[in-house]
Amino acid sequence: MELKDEIRIEAPKHEVYAALNDPEVLKAAIPGCQELNKVSDTELEAKVALKVGPVKATFGGKVTLDTAGAPDRFLLTGEGSGGVAGFAKGGAEVELEEDGNATILRYAARADVGGKLAMLGGRLIASTAQKLAGQFFENFSAKVSAGRRIS
Amino acid sequence: MNEMTPPKTERTAALKGLGTARKRVEDARFTQGKGNYVDDIKLPGMLFGDFVRSPYAHARIKSIDAEKAKALPGVIAVLTAADLAPLKLHWMPTLAGDVQMVLADGKVLFQGQEVAFVVAENRYIAADAVELVEVDYEELPVLVDPFKAEAPDAPVLREDLAGKSEGAHGPRRHHNHIFTWEQGDRDATEKVLASADVVAEEMVYYHRTHPCPLETCGCVASMDKVNGKLTVWGTFQAPHAVRTVASLISGIAEHNIRIISPDIGGGFGNKVGVYPGYICSIVASIVTGVPVKWVEDRMENLMATAFARDYWMKGRISATKDGRITGLWCHVTADHGAFDACADPTKFPAGFFNICTGSYDIPVAYLAVDGVYTNKAPGGVAYRCSFRVTEAAYFIERMIEVLAIKLGMDAAELRAKNFIRKDQFPYHSALGWEYDSGDYHTAWDKALKAVDYEGLRKEQAQRLEDFKAGKTRRLIGIGLTHFTEIVGAGPVKNCDILGLGMFDSCEIRIHPTGSAIARLGTISQGQGHATTFAQILASEIGIPADDITVEEGDTDTAPYGLGTYGSRSTPVAGAATAMAGRKIRAKAQMIAAYLLEVHDDDVEWDVDRFAVKGAPERFKTMKEIAFAAYNQAIPGIEPGLEAVSYYDPPNMTYPFGAYICVMEIDVDTGEHEVRQFYALDDCGTRINPMIIEGQVHGGATEGYAIAMGQEMAYDDMGNVKNATLMDFFLPTAWETPHYTTDFTVTPSPHHPIGAKGVGESPNVGSVPAFSNAVHDAFRSFGLTQTHMPHDHWRIWRTAHELGLHG
Repeated sequence: MELKDEIRIEAPKHEVYAALNDPEVLKAAIPGCQELNKVSDTELEAKVALKVGPVKATFGGKVTLDTAGAPDRFLLTGEGSGGVAGFAKGGAEVELEEDGNATILRYAARADVGGKLAMLGGRLIASTAQKLAGQFFENFSAKVSAGRRIS
Repeated sequence: MNEMTPPKTERTAALKGLGTARKRVEDARFTQGKGNYVDDIKLPGMLFGDFVRSPYAHARIKSIDAEKAKALPGVIAVLTAADLAPLKLHWMPTLAGDVQMVLADGKVLFQGQEVAFVVAENRYIAADAVELVEVDYEELPVLVDPFKAEAPDAPVLREDLAGKSEGAHGPRRHHNHIFTWEQGDRDATEKVLASADVVAEEMVYYHRTHPCPLETCGCVASMDKVNGKLTVWGTFQAPHAVRTVASLISGIAEHNIRIISPDIGGGFGNKVGVYPGYICSIVASIVTGVPVKWVEDRMENLMATAFARDYWMKGRISATKDGRITGLWCHVTADHGAFDACADPTKFPAGFFNICTGSYDIPVAYLAVDGVYTNKAPGGVAYRCSFRVTEAAYFIERMIEVLAIKLGMDAAELRAKNFIRKDQFPYHSALGWEYDSGDYHTAWDKALKAVDYEGLRKEQAQRLEDFKAGKTRRLIGIGLTHFTEIVGAGPVKNCDILGLGMFDSCEIRIHPTGSAIARLGTISQGQGHATTFAQILASEIGIPADDITVEEGDTDTAPYGLGTYGSRSTPVAGAATAMAGRKIRAKAQMIAAYLLEVHDDDVEWDVDRFAVKGAPERFKTMKEIAFAAYNQAIPGIEPGLEAVSYYDPPNMTYPFGAYICVMEIDVDTGEHEVRQFYALDDCGTRINPMIIEGQVHGGATEGYAIAMGQEMAYDDMGNVKNATLMDFFLPTAWETPHYTTDFTVTPSPHHPIGAKGVGESPNVGSVPAFSNAVHDAFRSFGLTQTHMPHDHWRIWRTAHELGLHG
């Protein structure tokens, strides 16, 4: 499964990058996120409750960041397991580009899904993932630009 | 005959015997929702089992932690392979001579494999507890392609078979190889092919699909610790075989096991095998001392309980320039999944696939089947067909079409030219069968005439011209099929399952007032046995079918038999019924002669009575004879009127048929419309025309599903892609085509009433008819072969690849 999109966030690039590294912002933005802890500068652990069609489960997972190209570009890889509901593993490439006072965020993600989740059929998973990603960036964008207005 | 005696025709009609369109007696309860299925069984104190299943297709199990699950209130136990190992029940034998894990032993080999069995006070707690069992997996490389499975460096799937170069069916040549099964004459066939005028070659794939009965599999196991008796209610197509196998595996004496198949909501081969759920329920009941119920859900049924087909069939067929077939060569790569759990007679690891010469007189043939292991669910059952017969029929009916293209010949003409002629029966096929009877030309001519074949071809040609002229975007395909089945397994001399001979049985008791009960070794799953077996008996013993109870499925009461699958009930148990009836009649004749004070030879049978020869007004009806049998002291004859027959058929039966499908295909959307479907079946003597018609409708609809959309598909990771009814195609009334049924009657010469079986013919015949129609629509654009299922997307893709989208 592959996801690709770009969004415009009303905040300068360094703020967007900082927010992407802020567990509190991420926790608020990730749909269903119950826990998110920074283990080190490049490692995060998360617990996320998800519902895909009839499958509802809490996924425990680990995300590793590769920030070699930051703040223009960085890579994420991760895997998560939802017990009987199945598992997922994948990665994403995120690019940030300045556009005046705003930032264009582009992402390309790919994920392999297994277990009950996968059995539900690709069409349901792809559309759910697309929706979740959309929700995340909507929340994220709102959080980052709102924070900016307050300050 | 006195005035009071109704005429023969009236008395015959009153029996509702052979040939009567008698309404199904079962339907009174089914249509009212009053059936009694496994899940309807509720016993006091009953517990519920549910499986933890693997999300991975291939992985090593590093640990299983069930502590949290066990701590959940209402959870009684969590069983793993480690718990079953001391009982030697963590593995079980399959029907194909292989072994299968009951619960994952060290690793898992397919997605959905049983890893642990949770037992709880109710279904909900069991489901919650399943989610609390923590299994730590280490992923291993996955094999879903049977051709890659045989690569030298392919991952080893079955570590338990390491070093075993000999399997249940001969030598294994690779760690993922199961068997090679060869039939026919290889040298002679290759010689003929090498020097033939014309040779057509094709790879024909019959995709993996699933029988998907509406009722999933399940059981209730109840161990009575006081009397030591184990009772298991289950969705079993072969209850007696289950009893024997359960006794052999568990060590419980066979008389202490009672297997009951209650009403079954469709089987289609899915309920022949032995599944881990049965073993785990039985163990759980023995351990807890209370009944344990296990019923799988739809996803579990689709992803883990026996699949069907998955045959890659490479064929070469040769002919003279004028279309006389001279030879057939076939190699099958059979994907059996993680364990070889096919339900075939022991000596036939590829079932009766060697019927693949079909309805044609082919002088030489050679067949080899290689079974291989992959990371897919085990199974390979006969989904509404006799063992691998649907695969064989699809193969030969595709090869005929491919040959017709190569020859530039009309496919109907090519078939007629090569049919086994009526005067050639009994016919010995090049791959070893003795076809008992047939009259293919008569059936074929009738079918072509009924659909106006020539008219259809003219219409098709006109449509093609219109298409090319841009006047329409719809093409017409005419799908032809003439199939020959082989059913009624079978003669004990060559047919057994795990050493159990495939005879069947019937036991009849006539009650003093002239009604009766008949018990059989088979079990109906919707076929209507209670209706049709009573009709066979009515005609044999002159007691109205309405006065005969037919009972099956309880091993404590029914005589031993091998069950219902492979269209064997009528050919085998139906024959036993007729034979037991004849024993009843023989005794009745002696009683009648005594009562009429004449010699045994001086009375003759007359529909429902014995009458004195030449004096029809002197008679005794079966009712009178039955009463006398119990209540009158007759010198030299013991009281009672009962009989039992165990019937070992001398041969299989060979039903056949001619199916024609006319389909319209929208080139731009890939949608299709079945405009006409004509099904002519010859199942020999017809017991109940209404039930035959119903069977043809049902079987053809399953065939339609398989050909046009139904499949079990896997992605590269071994994920099942069709494990719900959202993705697995089951036609509803909306999609189901209209069928026209027809028949010819060529009785089986060796069956007591000449019947051959019909339940599975429509699946065997309709799949190639639908598929051939799709192929035929594109024939003039150069299409020779495209694989099923022909869903909208695949048809669209075919049109696209042929350049029809401009």
